[in-house]
Amino acid sequence: MQNAKDSFYMALRNRLAVINPDRTILLRGTVRPGIVVEEAEAPFSPLPSDVFVLRWVGLGIDTDLASTMAAEECEILYQTCGTQSFGGLDRGRALSEMDEELVAILQPYYTPKLNYTPTPPAAMLTQVFWDEAAFTPLVVQRDLLSRSAKVTVLSYQEQGE
Amino acid sequence: MATTWFSAPAPVARRVRAYFAPVNRATAAPTVFDPAEQGAFSVDSPPAPWISLGWIQDFTRKSASKTAPVLSGIPAAALEQVRETLNAEVSLQFLSWTKLTMALATGSQHMNLLAPAVGAAGAADGALAATAVVVESGSTANFVSLAASDAAKFAPGSIIAIDADYVGQTGYVGSPVSGAYVRQPLTDVDYIRRITFNVALVSAVSSSGLTLAEPLPAGAPSAGSKLQALTGFVDREGGSFYQEWSALFVLQGSQGERIFFHYPRLQTMAGAEEATSPIGAKSSGSQARVLLKAQFMALPVIDPLDGERVLCYRSFLPAPNGIV
Repeated sequence: MQNAKDSFYMALRNRLAVINPDRTILLRGTVRPGIVVEEAEAPFSPLPSDVFVLRWVGLGIDTDLASTMAAEECEILYQTCGTQSFGGLDRGRALSEMDEELVAILQPYYTPKLNYTPTPPAAMLTQVFWDEAAFTPLVVQRDLLSRSAKVTVLSYQEQGE
Repeated sequence: MATTWFSAPAPVARRVRAYFAPVNRATAAPTVFDPAEQGAFSVDSPPAPWISLGWIQDFTRKSASKTAPVLSGIPAAALEQVRETLNAEVSLQFLSWTKLTMALATGSQHMNLLAPAVGAAGAADGALAATAVVVESGSTANFVSLAASDAAKFAPGSIIAIDADYVGQTGYVGSPVSGAYVRQPLTDVDYIRRITFNVALVSAVSSSGLTLAEPLPAGAPSAGSKLQALTGFVDREGGSFYQEWSALFVLQGSQGERIFFHYPRLQTMAGAEEATSPIGAKSSGSQARVLLKAQFMALPVIDPLDGERVLCYRSFLPAPNGIV
């Protein structure tokens, strides 16, 4: 299941780097595309703004199939205060931009499954796939606008996993 | 040892895509789809002459063929089976309104509302049309050459129909799709352009002609073709004409597998009908999407492989590395 989670994250990260190369985050001295997996970083408090944060929550398993299917629920959180140059008055536009980016990087709704443990990553036999995201209502905390979206990521367990 | 296969469960597909190709009505010759040669096509750019009809929903296909046992002995027991009737039906909802989807979903002929001549008396299926303009040589499927004075009559955003003048012929008319069957000579010189499927949206206009947003279904206009603007489409409940087309439905599985349903000949078997779909499952508003409902009957073709009469081909291209 870790391979599916890694593959989903890397697919979104690579797509984001193409769609908006300016959305980046500086983490541990390295500038990376602005999307991170919460459980793979030091604890955030609070969550970073203008960045997508992937949080893995639910898990379901269906073993009554030719290959076991795993359904892993991913919550994607993002927030913004807008930009300083506009005094934060563009925070609504900034959040809309992140909404649109998230819709775009989720398509197409599949990606090849890779094992990222070795270097370079090893191609596996199946694809990871998911459906449209379910977006939550906007949350306003003073000048901070935040939203999350839930995606169920599906994958088949392969031999050796 | 490297693992090179997996046990593929039942395909998981998000939605169904439909494609159209013409049937030569005069010879009852359908368009063939070869899944072995053409099965890997990109869903957004099907192989010619297939044209995408977009995504569809509520796709249901039903075999209504009947078999009966041949009984023998006392007491009678089934000796073998025979196929008494061959029948299959398809129903679906088109998620977009286009010339093609509207025409296929209607139970009878489908017409273009040609832009009317100034002062023409009104008519339910379009008034007397403004005079057609001549298509010049050098036109392509994406560009229609016109005299400068004719090009000036159109603007980006215009919808146009291109086909020949009607000159009194009877039988199937329209290119590349037969849009009507004329039983007795008519008087409307624009009749073929009223029923033609050869329509397109104009994306740009220059002094030399019109650039189209999408290629013409019939390809480069033939010599003698004429062009008219149209304002929309109209169909009727009634009439004696049945639309017929070659249909291809594609389900793309989550693991790269594909299921094809190829109906060489489909005819409409129900009148024009719509379905409404509320926008957003949780929405309490009254806005609803209006979908085209369609129901078809499959007609048989002779499979040249063995001479059998068949209605439909179901093909499956397995997932890469999936056990078969």
